[in-house]
Amino acid sequence: MIVDPVTARWAGALYGLAQRKGVLAAVVRDVERLGAEVARPQVQRVLLNPRIDLETRRGAVAPALGGAHELTRNFVALAFDRGRVEVLTGLSTAFRRRILEDAGEVEGVIETARPLPPAEIERAAAEFGRVLGKKLRLANRVDPALVGGARITAMNRMLDGSVTGRLEALKRRLLQAPLPG
Amino acid sequence: MELRPAEVTSILEKEIEQYKGETAMQSIGTVLSVGDGVARVYGLDDCVMNELLEFPNGVRGVALNLEEDNVGCVLLGDATKVKEGDTVRSTGRVISVPTGEQLLGRVVNALGDPIDGKGPLGTSTSDLRPIESAAPSVVEREPVKEPLQTGIKAIDAMIPIGRGQRELIIGDRQTGKTALCIDTIINQKTTAGGDPKHPEQVICIYVAVGQKQSTIVDVQRRLEAAGAMPYTIIVAASANDEASMQYLACYAGVAMGERFRDEGRHVVIFYDDLYKQALAYRQVMLLLRRPPGREAFPGDVFNLHSRLLERAAKISRDAPKINPRYKQGGGSITALPIVETQEGDVAAYIPTNVISITDGQIFLESALFNAGIKPAVNAGISVSRVGGSAQIAAMKKIAGGLRLGLASYRALAAFAQFGSDLDKATLQELTRGERLTEILKQGQYVPMPVEQQIQIIYVATAGHLDDVPARRVSEVEKAFLRAMSEQHPEVAEEIKKTKNVSDGARAALDQVIAAVKVQLGTSTTQPAAKAQPKSKA
Repeated sequence: MIVDPVTARWAGALYGLAQRKGVLAAVVRDVERLGAEVARPQVQRVLLNPRIDLETRRGAVAPALGGAHELTRNFVALAFDRGRVEVLTGLSTAFRRRILEDAGEVEGVIETARPLPPAEIERAAAEFGRVLGKKLRLANRVDPALVGGARITAMNRMLDGSVTGRLEALKRRLLQAPLPG
Repeated sequence: MELRPAEVTSILEKEIEQYKGETAMQSIGTVLSVGDGVARVYGLDDCVMNELLEFPNGVRGVALNLEEDNVGCVLLGDATKVKEGDTVRSTGRVISVPTGEQLLGRVVNALGDPIDGKGPLGTSTSDLRPIESAAPSVVEREPVKEPLQTGIKAIDAMIPIGRGQRELIIGDRQTGKTALCIDTIINQKTTAGGDPKHPEQVICIYVAVGQKQSTIVDVQRRLEAAGAMPYTIIVAASANDEASMQYLACYAGVAMGERFRDEGRHVVIFYDDLYKQALAYRQVMLLLRRPPGREAFPGDVFNLHSRLLERAAKISRDAPKINPRYKQGGGSITALPIVETQEGDVAAYIPTNVISITDGQIFLESALFNAGIKPAVNAGISVSRVGGSAQIAAMKKIAGGLRLGLASYRALAAFAQFGSDLDKATLQELTRGERLTEILKQGQYVPMPVEQQIQIIYVATAGHLDDVPARRVSEVEKAFLRAMSEQHPEVAEEIKKTKNVSDGARAALDQVIAAVKVQLGTSTTQPAAKAQPKSKA
């Protein structure tokens, strides 16, 4: 998922503050709960609709803030006051990415034609992570259209070792090859 | 085109033989939004400016805006085939076009793909050149000194163009701007008989930007009919091509020319026209959300044209010692950009920009055109800042009188409108001016070799045509040139070889014109004219 720069900046502020105050664990838990709530379509419809008055919209996220840390509650209130409600939708993704970043980790996807055993995913993650210079966490996604091999995507980089990908590359080369004579 | 199965098999065999199992890591991105021929792409972290990007379904794009979290790019193909969420791959190379001799005689688009139905070009990757490249540096150049003959009397005599010069052709619609280009292309046949392999042959590149497709076909037909296509490349981005293609076509054309220039050849390139290119650039830049400036053009519209025209240059003989890029020194690119004005307004934004960049301009006026003076060159305000160094000695000597004669004619003609009583000297100047104007008229698609130009201009400036009625000047001119080539072909040869007109040649010219006048009965001063019908009978 794409995190826009504004959300990344807001999330960074909350993260940094929580870390300095030593309440990171509590805030992370809040943010995850809030993220799950905001992801629900009913909530999102109310939250992002400018025709609904502000109080009703504040109320839509209130259930997720029950028992939340003070910093989280302040954060949500400030987002409403500044007219930046949309940062709440990408907040949990931005937070997760921040946590991974601090741990020197990145998330990625390994696509294969059939499910991979965990040991192989681990090996692929270790190999590809070495190239990227990061600790890589790979999720396995099954796509029968790949026919065979694997396609790894992480940090806007792609290593396409799938049969389909190689055939595509061959097709592109053949189309560009000059005809003799 | 016929597809021969054996050829495809041979390519396959080669590909299979050289196939490498390894897979390279690619930089990828995701399409955020697409529309109006531009796309915003998330990702592509290590994308560079002007990098060629691959979208699904064979659509290509060029990265133009590198922003904090996304890349803005223009699409060079069917934008309807690209949708949100599509994966974009970077190619690791900036946008390039094929170059080389296989392009001669072809019509290609802004990416160098042939569009004339004559089959693929057969270029290898070593023929590819990036369309944006730096102009030659100061030390690699030398002053413009060799003439580029356009074959148009009014231009070669008064507004000479040198190889490596940038000369703007400016005028309203329907004033003969494109016709001037075609004539110049046809005339380059005289440099080496139109043999594209000959090192002296001037290569012509015609870049059509935002033109009607019918116009492009017409230009191609005209050049084919005149036998000028074998040494010409047409780069076409017609009005229905994407705006991105229209603005890139000029750079593609000059990149193709630079290949020949670096091999020591001479190239002349026509941009028809830069106003439409600026409009296409404005469209793309506004869609990419770059801030608009005057007339909504982006701030770098001046640089758009200056960096293009700076690439026209005369390369010094010693350039290969300075920069290994030049295989042979002495090559040149002459740029003849066209700018179309609206209602003769040369003070508009784009015309003034290009006027300030170029080394002179040829003004074509609708008033002159409508008065039957074709080519409609306004000799008064047209200039060439290179001047006489781009003329052969003979022309320099003879054309001096032409310029002066026409200048005093224009000054007097304005006065003469008011009074009827004019003294003899004034009348004399008016008569001369009228005759000079007459001999500068020239038909379309009939460029004249410089030797012939010199002969007829000599005759006119020496006053030999003063007693010929103005309406019969062209008739006399034709008969005179025919007589010269029949009776004294050595005069043209001599001018060609020595670049000068000797006294002997002058005597021959004087003698032939007198005889022609008598023969046609156009001379009013010589009694022989009246005697002519008798001799005929």
